Amino acid sequence: MSSIDRRDFLKLVGAGGVGTGAGFMLAESIKHPVEYLIPYPVPPEDFSPGIATYYNSVCSMCSAGCGITVRTREGRAKKIEGNPAHPVSQGRLCALGQAGLQALYNPDRLTSPLLRAGDRESGAWIPTTWEDGLSQVAERLGALRSSGQGNRIGFLSEGVGGHLGTLIERFMAELGSGRLLHHDFAHPQTLYAAVNRLFGEDHLPYYDLGNTRYLLSFGADYLGNWISPVHHGLGFGNSRQGREDVRGRFVQIEPRMSLSGAAADEWIPASPGTEGILALGLANHIVSEGGYQGADRDAWAVALEPYSSAAVSEQTGVPAATVMRLADTFADTQPSLAIGGGAAGNHSNGVDTLVAVNALNYLVGNLGAEGGLIFNPEPVVGQAPSSRHASYSAMLELAADARQGNIEVLILNQTNPVFTLPAAAEFKAALADIPLIVSLSSFMDETTAMADIILPSHTYLESWGDDFPEPGVGFSVGAVSQPVVSPLYNTRATGDIVLGLAQALGLGDALPWASMEVYLQESWREIHARGAAEGEAEAESFEAFWAAVLQAGVWGENTRREVGSITIASDVVDSIGVEPPEFAGDSNGYPFILHPYVSNVLHDGQGANLPWMQELPDPMTSVVYGSWVELNPTTAERLGLAEGDVVEIESPQGRVAAPVYVYPAIMPDVVAMPIGQGHTEYGRYAKNRGANPIEILSPQIEPVTGGLAWSATRVRLIPTGRRVDLLKTGGVSRELGREIVQTTGSGASAGETAGLHSIPITVVPT
Amino acid sequence: MGVSIVPTLRVLKPLGLMAVVGFVGLVFGYWANAAFFPGTAPTQPINFSHRIHAGDFEIECMYCHTQARRSTSAGIPAVSKCVGCHENVATERPQIRLLMEYWENKEPIPWIKVHDLPDFVYFPHKRHVQAGVECQTCHGPVETMDVVSRMAPTEMGLCLTCHKEHQVEFGLDCLTCHK
Repeated sequence: MSSIDRRDFLKLVGAGGVGTGAGFMLAESIKHPVEYLIPYPVPPEDFSPGIATYYNSVCSMCSAGCGITVRTREGRAKKIEGNPAHPVSQGRLCALGQAGLQALYNPDRLTSPLLRAGDRESGAWIPTTWEDGLSQVAERLGALRSSGQGNRIGFLSEGVGGHLGTLIERFMAELGSGRLLHHDFAHPQTLYAAVNRLFGEDHLPYYDLGNTRYLLSFGADYLGNWISPVHHGLGFGNSRQGREDVRGRFVQIEPRMSLSGAAADEWIPASPGTEGILALGLANHIVSEGGYQGADRDAWAVALEPYSSAAVSEQTGVPAATVMRLADTFADTQPSLAIGGGAAGNHSNGVDTLVAVNALNYLVGNLGAEGGLIFNPEPVVGQAPSSRHASYSAMLELAADARQGNIEVLILNQTNPVFTLPAAAEFKAALADIPLIVSLSSFMDETTAMADIILPSHTYLESWGDDFPEPGVGFSVGAVSQPVVSPLYNTRATGDIVLGLAQALGLGDALPWASMEVYLQESWREIHARGAAEGEAEAESFEAFWAAVLQAGVWGENTRREVGSITIASDVVDSIGVEPPEFAGDSNGYPFILHPYVSNVLHDGQGANLPWMQELPDPMTSVVYGSWVELNPTTAERLGLAEGDVVEIESPQGRVAAPVYVYPAIMPDVVAMPIGQGHTEYGRYAKNRGANPIEILSPQIEPVTGGLAWSATRVRLIPTGRRVDLLKTGGVSRELGREIVQTTGSGASAGETAGLHSIPITVVPT
Repeated sequence: MGVSIVPTLRVLKPLGLMAVVGFVGLVFGYWANAAFFPGTAPTQPINFSHRIHAGDFEIECMYCHTQARRSTSAGIPAVSKCVGCHENVATERPQIRLLMEYWENKEPIPWIKVHDLPDFVYFPHKRHVQAGVECQTCHGPVETMDVVSRMAPTEMGLCLTCHKEHQVEFGLDCLTCHK
């Protein structure tokens, strides 16, 4: 080394300095990050770090009203399970209920009140305060109210019962508006109408699956999504294995095998929309064989005359021998039970179909019997939530009113009609004509994206509320939904938003409660008084009663409603009959019947923003993360399609694209698609995934309820030539000699269904 | 035509020297950080002295860390616990005034964790306390410290040495701690 001049020296000093700095930072970067221990200023009584605290509450992920127990630690909800004391869930809970945590912690939640910044749907929002948001809405509402134009205010909600329902009722009545509507895609409106026509009841009866010996289900996927799947699952288990010496038998009648169909002893595909005709065929056989001995049996015989086994067989595609066998078994096995719903209840003849199905229960004496159909007592609170349900026709009226400028303000509560109405309804275009749309949604769904002001609600795990299961379980049950965690964001409970609006409007006299919690306590005093009136409470104070209800997570009255002998009105008997179903589109141009089904995990689409639900394999196909269309193998072969081939499913109303899934347990002229995917909004997990079959449904109306006959659309398939790998957890559907599923084909059912390439069904003799 | 690498080396020579000096600097920097800024005794928001409380006044550990015998975590006392005594005790000292400031604003005191285990380790305090393990075994002689510092690196060796020594049932199973 010769010499180091000044410049070299400075360079070396620089190099040493940089090296030292880098070394220091390297050591710093591999240290543990600083963590804090944050104590409470004053600890809550029931809290100790590291030890879980459990709260009982009510699930709100669907309308069944299961009781839940939530495990919390350090003030965070960690796990949701069923509440063992609650008669609906009895300690069990479905996947969607378990995923309630992901609604709470969802990264796409709306975290504060928002005002629209740009054009509608531009996606530009400015956060604001609650005071500002509420006063802006109250100003508009107040102006309409004081000028006597309250009816220009609409409130469109998901089905809400309990005291939140009555609170909203009061609020809208004070505003002078009768435009309070509930909208749920999967609402069993045709079943309500059928039960009302047959038995004069406003409420659904309790179908006692747990104690029945023979169940005929006409299209109701009671284990998957029909009304109260967790409770039905318990009933199914009890009926099969819970009793000594008795093993319940289950028959499922539907064009596409659902989860309940797969669990049944016998799966019988009847042509779509002819389930009611089949039921009447059974009724005909029962009456003509003397299985019904009521005074009006002649009237029944006359009404059922056109439904001979032979005629029914021709229309439904079910062999006459099967019709007679089902009828005989149904009449001879007591108690037996017939239920109907799902796609069968949503054809153009939906109500008639369900009347026919429930009439079977009457004919063989299942009414009021254990293991049969049990009538529910009068509801504890208000009217049945079904009375506010907006059918498809009612939604069209709302849209027409909006177009004519008759609606000034529309308040949306956790309902998403832009997604759950077919494109033919043009509901979105109608929304554009409403000057002010307010959404109380917790998430940016398709309808909320059209809003002007968003006042976001808490999730149910942060809110006060209550629930009285509808349909009930045969006796009066209620449960209080209590917050299990402190609110995560600057949101409010729906009840508190309504009360806040009332306060800003100066409606303090009519709605004087400071919060939803106060309102609930006030209201539950009446329920407490009920018990005291019956002398059971032994002068227990309300405070003790309230604490006990919260702690147990459930309140109930052990009273069965006694109904005497029930006779069906003669005009109802005379009018019994089921017309063949009507389908939109001609069968030449549109050769397939589209069978959309409510997905077990995504429900009517509201579960699509939960990653657990997205990655949960569909129980029948094992497909995850997307949509598919199910084709019978013979159909697929005829069209030259294989699994993964993308086809366009076109109805007279439009088209959606989805990959093919070859499914042996579907009728050859039926194609099935799950509902729930195909969102264009609704957060990162739901957006732009799969296709929404509701979009292309024909606006076929069920005439009695005015509801959408959503299983009455004809479609054709157009291959696109594209192929995708279907994401699924299942491998091949064949056994390959592994004898994983051992079956014994019964002579009868194997022969009957052979033409459908159906899976042999195990038939166990009773 | 021969190719020589000597001209290249000549150019690189000053760079190589710089690299050597830079590397020495790197090692020095790393050492300096580890030696002088170990972070094992962080400055807390309030200069709470365990020596005064646990040493001089012989207050039981579990008088404040109440959960140690019942829960996985030992628990840090709520502000109300401190105030319970200090409403009347040593009220004029500046650090106590600082405490009362937190109390009046109903704000938690953001204590910095001295002993921390990664999330993949399951360490229940209650098992160890109930088995009679002294707090000092892992936390060091806290009752002598004005500022608590980490005595032993809370790493797997510490756990296993002790589990072996006491012949803890299933004490060497992976799943005992990693579950």
